[in-house]
Amino acid sequence: MKTIPNAHKRRWRSMRLVAGGLVLALALAACADEDAEVDDPGTDIDDADDPDVDIDDGVEGEEGDDGEAAPADSGDSLLNTVQDRGAVVCGVNDAVPGFGLTTEDGDFEGFDIDFCRAIAAAVIGDADAVELIPLTAEARFTALQSGEIDVLVRNTTWTAARDGGEGGAFTLPTFYDGQGMMVRADSGISSIDDMEGAAICVLSGTTTELNLETEMASRGLSYEAATFEDNDTLQEAFIADRCDGWTSDRSQLAAIRSAFPDGPDSVSVLDEVISKEPLGPAVRDGDSQWLDAVNWTVIATMIGEEFGVDSSNVNDLVESVDVDEQPALARFLGVAGFDPGLGLPEDFAVQVISQVGNYAEIFERNVGPDTGLGLEREQNALYTDGGLHYPPPY
Amino acid sequence: MTTTDPATRTSEPAATPPSGGPTGMAWVRENLFPDVWNSLLTLTLGPLLAWGVYALGRFLFVTGRWEIITVNLTTLMVGRFPRDQLFRLWIAIAILAVVIGLALGVANSVARAAAVESGDDYHRPWHEPIRRFGPPVTLLIVMGVFVRTATPLLLLAAALGLAAVAYRLGRMIPIRRRGQVNLVVILGVIGAQLAITGFDGVPRSVWGGLLLTIYFTVGALLFAFPLGVAVALGRRSSLPVVRGTCMVYIEFFRGMPLVVLLFTGWLVLPFFLPPQFPTPDIVTRAMVILVLFTSAYVAEIVRGGLQGLPRGQREAAQALGLSPWKQTRLIILPQALRSVIPALVGQAISLFKDTTLVLAVGLTELLQVARIIPGQEDFRGQGLFAETLIFVSLIYWVGSYWMSRESQRLEAKLGVGER
Repeated sequence: MKTIPNAHKRRWRSMRLVAGGLVLALALAACADEDAEVDDPGTDIDDADDPDVDIDDGVEGEEGDDGEAAPADSGDSLLNTVQDRGAVVCGVNDAVPGFGLTTEDGDFEGFDIDFCRAIAAAVIGDADAVELIPLTAEARFTALQSGEIDVLVRNTTWTAARDGGEGGAFTLPTFYDGQGMMVRADSGISSIDDMEGAAICVLSGTTTELNLETEMASRGLSYEAATFEDNDTLQEAFIADRCDGWTSDRSQLAAIRSAFPDGPDSVSVLDEVISKEPLGPAVRDGDSQWLDAVNWTVIATMIGEEFGVDSSNVNDLVESVDVDEQPALARFLGVAGFDPGLGLPEDFAVQVISQVGNYAEIFERNVGPDTGLGLEREQNALYTDGGLHYPPPY
Repeated sequence: MTTTDPATRTSEPAATPPSGGPTGMAWVRENLFPDVWNSLLTLTLGPLLAWGVYALGRFLFVTGRWEIITVNLTTLMVGRFPRDQLFRLWIAIAILAVVIGLALGVANSVARAAAVESGDDYHRPWHEPIRRFGPPVTLLIVMGVFVRTATPLLLLAAALGLAAVAYRLGRMIPIRRRGQVNLVVILGVIGAQLAITGFDGVPRSVWGGLLLTIYFTVGALLFAFPLGVAVALGRRSSLPVVRGTCMVYIEFFRGMPLVVLLFTGWLVLPFFLPPQFPTPDIVTRAMVILVLFTSAYVAEIVRGGLQGLPRGQREAAQALGLSPWKQTRLIILPQALRSVIPALVGQAISLFKDTTLVLAVGLTELLQVARIIPGQEDFRGQGLFAETLIFVSLIYWVGSYWMSRESQRLEAKLGVGER
């Protein structure tokens, strides 16, 4: 963290120098004299210029300090900025099926995209008021810190390092994933313990690779990792018997299995979960009002499911709900005159659910059994259905 | 595979082959089996080459699953550009067709006038247009294969028609009005962009595909070349401050990898801009970086050209009593630039391909679209990367090859290396 602002300052200085030089160059290009005779004294004067540059540096340094502190704690929450701007800027993934992908019609679709739209519906009242910026895994937290994006919704696992050093603040997880292991059904492997000396295919540069190492070490097994850049080349290697196991997030494995060329029954996903992968939106650290707004948008989709409110009945319910008989529902729908002080419009939950849907709808639409991924709810069900979603009360 | 070097062909039109050269078998004997070693080489490489052509042809026409291109053609062209706003793009294309047609028409009449003045018999060989426009036309035909409805083809034909009409008009414009035509072209280019972004239009952040690639290439070239020339002149200035700053500029931007510069402009810039100051959008920032980066290289290329000029040229210009600005503009620059055309075009081609790097800053240019679409529901897990990558390589190749052809034409016209 410390080195980055200094680097900026240095860059800023050089840029200033260069910009100034350019203006001069343009202005004086007319007088450019190509006679070489004056070159020698010129070199000396060039050196004499340097103190000038240093003085400039000092001044810039102070200015830089002011500027650097400003974006993080300027008192104004990002919530106001976003509302004034009239658009939420989300950092997303553009190449993960089910979570964020460009369709043939040039639309962005996916589970994460829907949560970004939900945030826009809650904060601005229009689910289409989003600007989606595709990010690589490496650039995502830098983009979040620099303020290039308002919220990161890019199948990001909530970890201590990301919450701490990388300056993110996570909401409730929107999706509980876990790393699993897929093997060929006829391989005779029924547990990871059977995989002594096995070759395991894994995507490079992901936490998956690291988790695999940890898991195998803790079980005292030796293995050989074969790393690949993308799932398609990995799949070809797996089909060609270059590895015995394929480890990835269980949601991804389920999707791959359902579309496996030799049929879903030719491969099986082992029961063991190698790592916990709670995926959720993240915002920049130190802006609790904005974090609350995003967090309660996520919670609202889950409460919607809990109360049985979905996009088809939400508007009727707003009309028909009885404040005395169903006070909790009435508060949630914003018709009870109750303001929790989140800085969100009273009817934000109604906007989210009518424009995007409740959690069940978002899940079914993007990753549910009828989609290409074909995932069951399992741990992503409400606590009442045996899942892990336990939304705080509104 | 004997090919005549195109450069020699264009620059030496006198060297036409003697009529009635070796025929059929004689040619084969002479070129493929002149002696034992060459025969061996032919027998080894021939089948390899044939197999390569067969494998490629088989992939292109038999095993390749090209449906992914058909379905995603619009996405490859414009990325996530809203489909209900595509009419804006067509308006922009129409405007550009008119101004480019006009400009080419005027250029043609200028060339004619120059030819008449110098007493040359100005005529074009009949095959020149085919050679010039062959690659882009091939690309259009390939795209035509993948297009699902006739509408884009009809609109494209209409745009070409407009360009042809404008070309005729341009040839009728008197040469002394050239300045005004230049102005019209600049206004047209600005207007074309406004037609897309203005009037509640489509912000550039959602542009993508080939549209974004071309936008970056053309935009960066338009700004980088003048800037590069200015910096090159500044680098040769006798004023130490000017020379120093130009040197720092060149060394700084040449010394940084383009990706680092792009990342800096994207992620670091917001840190040191005051919060009240609106950060320019990412497309602008990427464009500025591309311009700064390219202009540093252009400056060094142009400096090479400047240094290659005999000093007598400047002295002769001074002897004529021209002002320093006129010396540079009329005597020095035309000669210096002419001699570095190959390197400048090389830089342009390299910029065209470097635009792929903007995918690092979250922009969905052509290559990124090709990387994304195999993940779509209908194509997932089928490994269709070969198809999409071959398709975009064709586009990049046609663009680069076309630029190189045009540069050869320009060199021939200006007599590079002959005088």
